[in-house]
Amino acid sequence: MPIIELKEVRKVYPLGKVEVHAVKGVSFAIERGEFISIAGPSGSGKTTILNMIGLIDSPSSGEVEIDGKTTSGLSDKELTRFRHEILGFIFQSFNLIPVLNVWENIEFPLLLGKTRISPQEKKGWIDWLIEEVGLTEWKTHKPNELSGGQRQRVAIARALVTKPQIVLADEPTANLDSATGEQIIELMKKINRELDTTFIFSTHDAKIVEIADHIIRLRDGLVTENQRRTEEGIIPCP
Amino acid sequence: MNTILPKIALRNLARQKKRSFLLGGAIAFGIMIVTLINGFAGAFIENVSENFAYLMAGHVFIQGSEKTDSGRRLHVIRDGSLIVEAVEKTALPYSFATKSSEVAAMIIFEGKSIRQNLTGLDIANSTFLKERLVLKQGSWEQSMAPDALILSEKVAGKLNVLPGDRVTASFQTITGQNNVADFTVVAISVDASIIGSVMTYVNLDYLNAFLGMKPGEYMSLGFMLPNLKDASEFSTALYESMKNLGMGLFERSAQDDSGSATPFQALMRNQNKETWEGVKYRVFTIDDVLSQAKQIVLALDSSSLIILLVLFAIVMIGITNTFRMVMYERIREIGTMRAVGVQRREVRSILLALVAMGGLSLIDFGMDSPAFLIMKNGHLSFFLPPARALFNILVISLLTILAAYFPARAAAKMTPADALRTMK
Ligand SMILES: Nc1ncnc2c1ncn2[C@@H]1O[C@H](COP(=O)(O)OP(=O)(O)O)[C@@H](O)[C@H]1O
Ligand SMILES: [Mg+2]
Repeated sequence: MPIIELKEVRKVYPLGKVEVHAVKGVSFAIERGEFISIAGPSGSGKTTILNMIGLIDSPSSGEVEIDGKTTSGLSDKELTRFRHEILGFIFQSFNLIPVLNVWENIEFPLLLGKTRISPQEKKGWIDWLIEEVGLTEWKTHKPNELSGGQRQRVAIARALVTKPQIVLADEPTANLDSATGEQIIELMKKINRELDTTFIFSTHDAKIVEIADHIIRLRDGLVTENQRRTEEGIIPCP
Repeated sequence: MNTILPKIALRNLARQKKRSFLLGGAIAFGIMIVTLINGFAGAFIENVSENFAYLMAGHVFIQGSEKTDSGRRLHVIRDGSLIVEAVEKTALPYSFATKSSEVAAMIIFEGKSIRQNLTGLDIANSTFLKERLVLKQGSWEQSMAPDALILSEKVAGKLNVLPGDRVTASFQTITGQNNVADFTVVAISVDASIIGSVMTYVNLDYLNAFLGMKPGEYMSLGFMLPNLKDASEFSTALYESMKNLGMGLFERSAQDDSGSATPFQALMRNQNKETWEGVKYRVFTIDDVLSQAKQIVLALDSSSLIILLVLFAIVMIGITNTFRMVMYERIREIGTMRAVGVQRREVRSILLALVAMGGLSLIDFGMDSPAFLIMKNGHLSFFLPPARALFNILVISLLTILAAYFPARAAAKMTPADALRTMK
């Protein structure tokens, strides 16, 4: 069973008197543990699709299924809990909480909802994540004391702290230079392999797209290409 | 509820020190001013009448006036026996009667001088004075000395005198001649109130001699009644009784064409215009004297209400604007938090809690700082009616919450996607 399945998803934004058809009937499936890139030029609908998968926006029509469950009809409260338990987010502009230091930013999601974890376990896990993203020396620094690449590493650790099944990253490298961007994607891929977390990232950068093992290309709100890369070569998805 | 959200909110508040400070300072200052005005007005209305009654040694007063050939008005009661008779005829009770003279004087000691009203009365036999005045230095026994003088702590401090020092007072006699008299400071009293500190007491007979009055004469006779409320009835009855004995009397209530003055002022003005033979008496109560002061206080109090209302408007606009600004700046943060798992309800309540906390501490600061000022100032009388204080607090809190509620609700209602898209 795919961990995520989109069925004929459409999104229409009202824009004054006109409507913007941002996503015009998109269907695809994502398997557990995949490292997926949603690629396409600016305005092609990447953010809109990620928002709908991330349950922070709802489709105008069609279905987004996560882990076999339909998500339409859930209340805001249920969606919020769902997001907290199953999803992790990485943003283009990092979106760290400025008044919290690195450690506190990563800890933040654990302090929400019903997460119950012993203090020692929590400390061990957060320290491990910080080590994993290479920020052990920076634990007590505030976001404004870090470089862009370092901030995005904090964001990655924060996205992972609740051990989500899926991590969504909307253009995580758009605010970084290309070398740093590639390092960030490589780091995400490494964690994807180690923790078997499903990673979905969007990008308009052709070079970064290639690191993914499942690529969904968009243009004008429609899927133009959907293929997996395995040892056997490139396999188109139905 | 978790503690991380309030923590973040507070840290944000602390980070915006300058802005928080400016807005907060303005609000707190406004509240402080209003509280101060309310407090002084309240204190004044609350106890000023009783204070005055004690300081002026009575609730109802009789003063005598003579008009000389040269047109000068002399304040003197030459013979009080008719008055005593008139009082007896009313059959109304009074606690005690006090004969007194008063003169504006300059008290001089070793090159320092200060203007004071000298009140002459029979200090040794004045129970009310002994009840009212608390002596800081010196003793009542020494006030038996004919040239005894009791002054307040503040005045003593300014003159730098101690009990036993000899001071000189210069003043005018009732006929307008300059005169000086020496007094011995026998005691220094604790300043009970602002009014109290301006009173200096001396012995009636001694003062009268220097004022050019004969023994047994005095300027006014004050009746202390069992209750302040009896003043009006007592004065009316006394007035009628004196009239029946054929004593010359000034009209009790006078019309004033200008309309701006209080009845008491109008009365005084008319008395200055009139001419008459012999002694004419004037009967008045403490309320007549204080009506003007009370009017000022009431005006002050109502103007403080206007200040309060203007302040409320500023608070409201200030809070809404600041809040919008804060939220606009924080909207992506709110979006991020919502995405990561913060509930809508939590966003709303944390925003409101933040405002409430800020608001309350400001109100507290605004209300406490006057109290602090008063304490540092010592003896200023200050009284804020609790209902009034509660009203101020309630209105400000209500407006604050109201001003914050709508922006907070809007922010909480936004979908996380919209919140995240804003500010990019
Ligand atoms: N809130 C919105 N209101 C109106 N139009 C929007 C809104 N968000 C996105 N769009 C439009 O939808 C289309 C897809 O946008 P988006 O999903 O952000 O694309 P991408 O992330 O690939 O750049 C664009 O034409 C964009 O202008
Ligand atoms: Mg986008």
